[in-house]
Amino acid sequence: MANEIWVFAEQREGKVRKVTFELLSVGAEFSKKTGAQMVAILLGSGLQEAAKSLISFADKIYLMDDPSLASYTSDTYLTNMAPLIKEHQPSVLLGGATSTGKDLFPRLAMHLQTGYAPDCTGLAVEENGKLVAKRPIYGGKVFAEMVFSEARPQMATVRNNTFPANQNLNKSAQVIPVSAKTDLSSLKKKVLGLEKAAGMKLDITEAEIVVAAGRGIKAPENFKIIEDLADVLNASVGTTRATVDEGWRDQKDQIGKSGKNISAKLYMAFGISGAIHHILGIGTCKTVVAVDTDPNALIFNYADYGIVGDLFQIVPALTEELRKVTKE
Amino acid sequence: MDIYVLVKQVPDPEAIIKVKSDSELEIENKYFTNFFDEFAIEAGLKLKEKFGGKVTVLTVDNKKADALRRGIAMGADDAIQITDPALDGSDQFATAKALTAYLKDKAFDLILAGRQAMDDDAGIVGPAVAELLGIPHVNTIIGLEMEDPKKEAKVIREVEGGREILSCSLPALFTCQKGLNNPRIPQVMNVMKAMKAQIKKLDLATLGLSAADAGGQAAKIKVRKYLPPPKRPPVKMIKEDFPENLKILVKLLREEAKVI
Repeated sequence: MANEIWVFAEQREGKVRKVTFELLSVGAEFSKKTGAQMVAILLGSGLQEAAKSLISFADKIYLMDDPSLASYTSDTYLTNMAPLIKEHQPSVLLGGATSTGKDLFPRLAMHLQTGYAPDCTGLAVEENGKLVAKRPIYGGKVFAEMVFSEARPQMATVRNNTFPANQNLNKSAQVIPVSAKTDLSSLKKKVLGLEKAAGMKLDITEAEIVVAAGRGIKAPENFKIIEDLADVLNASVGTTRATVDEGWRDQKDQIGKSGKNISAKLYMAFGISGAIHHILGIGTCKTVVAVDTDPNALIFNYADYGIVGDLFQIVPALTEELRKVTKE
Repeated sequence: MDIYVLVKQVPDPEAIIKVKSDSELEIENKYFTNFFDEFAIEAGLKLKEKFGGKVTVLTVDNKKADALRRGIAMGADDAIQITDPALDGSDQFATAKALTAYLKDKAFDLILAGRQAMDDDAGIVGPAVAELLGIPHVNTIIGLEMEDPKKEAKVIREVEGGREILSCSLPALFTCQKGLNNPRIPQVMNVMKAMKAQIKKLDLATLGLSAADAGGQAAKIKVRKYLPPPKRPPVKMIKEDFPENLKILVKLLREEAKVI
């Protein structure tokens, strides 16, 4: 068994996702304690730039750069990753709790017959190399500290924005190319295409700042003022179950138990009363701002800063104020 | 088409859940059929209506079979409960093993499950069953089309920044996400009928598994400690008049919270 912490370096269109750097940064903290080597495993096609961006973050990079890996599927990634993991037996394998991570890791863990803690919001490594993974359960009403059996690697996916990403870890990784072994004729599923969402916004699970409105926005076209505010903050726009069920907003932007859990640095809720479904989805956000006309709205119990007021007055003025301040 | 749907009864989102001790939770007795499982049941029923065949709902649970009754009330043909005292303390991998032991010699065309169960919120069992059965899986689908139920399906899944369209050979396992369909509300008559429906119960021995395959001793992960959710400090209400309140808010976000 290798005293190594591996991070699944997720990339999209040749660009390594931010969560990867967050995991390599926290992994480096763990390795100070256990002496573990930090290893990134990067799969895809046309990865020169992606590999370069990881050099200062790891001691070693396993690079599988092959046209057969251009689109992620669990089949191709698992077939290529599993032998390498079995050969090196790292102590820990981390990935982002992204659509890819949550698709790949459970299947990979079952394949490797090892433990996997999904969608974690905290991690620690003890001196003996044991991973302790903290994760919300019951929609965030309870947190569980998970520990692993003797099987290795100890696997976990971690939510975006859980750990800060360093700019650079002053490492100089050795890049080890590994040839891909994908039998294209045996593939059972195939990506036919990707319909890109309109706009350049990050997914609400990835964005550092999320601004959202609920039914208090009164009509779908009024989201324009929320979008203007989001633009000033470089934020993504979220919403509640009510507006999605009304057909005002897309399901992909729904925050809460039947939608997505977000761990934003800053979350701002406008005209959102604070139904438990919604509150559970923002439990791990760092700072929460709530604006609502009802001084008794539940959302204020879960916010850091609150303003009782009319969002139609407040949002445009706040956008202006922020525009002024960010220019300074 | 022979379709199996994996279901689970879980605490209602409104249920109060508290940490009783490091190793024990107090869960209010308010349960419902896992929200995401209803999209899976509905998808199965729609395919049956189109191609004919049978929908079987399947659960691993020592206490609650109500999710099976919900499935029957919605229109499922058959219900199977895997139940055994040795299953207590199982993790998701052991649950997947039990489900696979039942499914492995069945002539299924499709297995459906919810995106995740709203209790452990793990999303492991679906992909783990697919791995053990050696069939492909696609997670969190929001679209499903089929021309030939013995051949392949076209599915859409939500990914960051868009929707991915895939073709997948059958048999396969798909986990279902809100947006896939609108689950039907069962008629009262069917709910009554489901209350009386026969549920087949199977234990581990019948499935060819031993107690060592399930429960705490087979678990790859376990809870060391339950914790209450972290508490936010009391809210600071900014009571100054508009627009002074906004200036204060921006100042607090910049200087106190340091988030912008």
